[in-house]
Amino acid sequence: MTCRMPRLPILRLKSRCTLREIEAPEERVHEEMESDILSFVHQLRRLRFIVALALYLPGLVHAQDASDSEDHAGHVPVITGGMGYVHNVTGGVTTLGPQINPVLLVPFGSHVLLESRTDFTGVFQRENQTSGPFTGKVFKSVDYAQVDWLANSHVMVTAGKYLLPFGLYNERLVPVWIRNLQDSPIAAAIGTRTSGAGDGLMLRGVVAQKPAYSVQYTAYFSALSTINQLEAARTAGGDASIYLTHPRLEIGTSYQRFLQDREINNVAAYVSWQPAATPLDLKAEYDYTHTGNGYWLETAYRFDRLPIPPVLRRVQAVGRMQQFFALNGGGNALPRVNTQRFDFGLNYYFRDNWRLVSSYGRTFSSQQDANAWNAGVTYRFTLPLWPERKK
Amino acid sequence: MKRYIAALSLLIVLLLGGMGAAALEQDSSQPRNDQKPPTTSNSREQTQEATGEEVFQANCSRCHLPPMSIPQRVTGTIIMHMRVRARLSRQDEQLLLKYMAP
Repeated sequence: MTCRMPRLPILRLKSRCTLREIEAPEERVHEEMESDILSFVHQLRRLRFIVALALYLPGLVHAQDASDSEDHAGHVPVITGGMGYVHNVTGGVTTLGPQINPVLLVPFGSHVLLESRTDFTGVFQRENQTSGPFTGKVFKSVDYAQVDWLANSHVMVTAGKYLLPFGLYNERLVPVWIRNLQDSPIAAAIGTRTSGAGDGLMLRGVVAQKPAYSVQYTAYFSALSTINQLEAARTAGGDASIYLTHPRLEIGTSYQRFLQDREINNVAAYVSWQPAATPLDLKAEYDYTHTGNGYWLETAYRFDRLPIPPVLRRVQAVGRMQQFFALNGGGNALPRVNTQRFDFGLNYYFRDNWRLVSSYGRTFSSQQDANAWNAGVTYRFTLPLWPERKK
Repeated sequence: MKRYIAALSLLIVLLLGGMGAAALEQDSSQPRNDQKPPTTSNSREQTQEATGEEVFQANCSRCHLPPMSIPQRVTGTIIMHMRVRARLSRQDEQLLLKYMAP
């Protein structure tokens, strides 16, 4: 049995070799020592490489992070959304409407986002419309459930169930805590058949951005789906808008081709203006489809810059007028006769996310004139799903 | 059932109203430091912050009242969501992040 010397010199001292075995001819010893030293140096180099890599990589990542973002923003999952309660009386019929719309946001890094909004809306009315006990139910629906890939400024890819980007209302103004008036415009049903959402792919992003303006686009295709909670129609379309930075004016247009049953075109044109000099919010939209066309014009003014007591500066006054002209008998969630409506509302903001809402509207049509009253409260919440790091 | 729903409605209104009033009271009694992130002494950063504020005011107020404060640990997530919804550029996202979570 031969004694196998450890290759590292320091370990040789601890070896179990006898003195005779260690006392070898001088040349052999030199060769072995040379070989061991070379091996040791080689191993040191490998070790140095590993150590350097271990130290360098986090630094590299940190440097990349630092150059990527110089902020302290966290990317933890969150549940946000709105909730509210609206007491509505339309044409003498009272409807109690509590609702909550949680939005789940789960980021994967800073380029991929999973997002979903679920709607729980209760509708309670008297058994005989104007008399009897209140009965009703809570409707549940998944408004959207999508994965976004934020590739770059020009392209963001969305897959899944997404809100149809048609006009101003469906994508932006539906949440209960955002809308200035709780009743939707009549023409909001145009371009959002059948569920307000599409199943498929959507591309969106910025075409060009200059200090004076920016141009945005959206293009999508939706497949027909009758799956529970994933209902969608077969449609294709897009939206394009230009935002003028200095006057804070946005002008846009939407187009949609409805590709099932009877193929029809839907078109919208819209304007949104929030001048910097005054707390005014003006929005207007025109929509056209096979069964009718119409427009709505909404303006909202906050009192926060008026020389009035601070408690009154939290008031917002809202007005909206709209006209709808039925074509080919109307239908598809649109009135069958020409309809006009005006609304006037007062909202009171406790904070940016807490407010009392109230409005009065009157509808005029050949079928029936009716008053609509709304009063309620809305709230926007944000619940981080990850605890704050201890510093 | 009728009394139950009426009582429940009243309770919800009172609860939400009370919480709103409490928020209002808290708001008026405390300085609103959370409305604007602290400014820095560096002039370059001040310029960036002004630009971030412009982006913030211009884009958020297109649809809703700009939020007074968002927990820092979710700011990145919320802004990713808004970048998709409002079709913001990467540059605008970075400016918003620096402004809202400096």
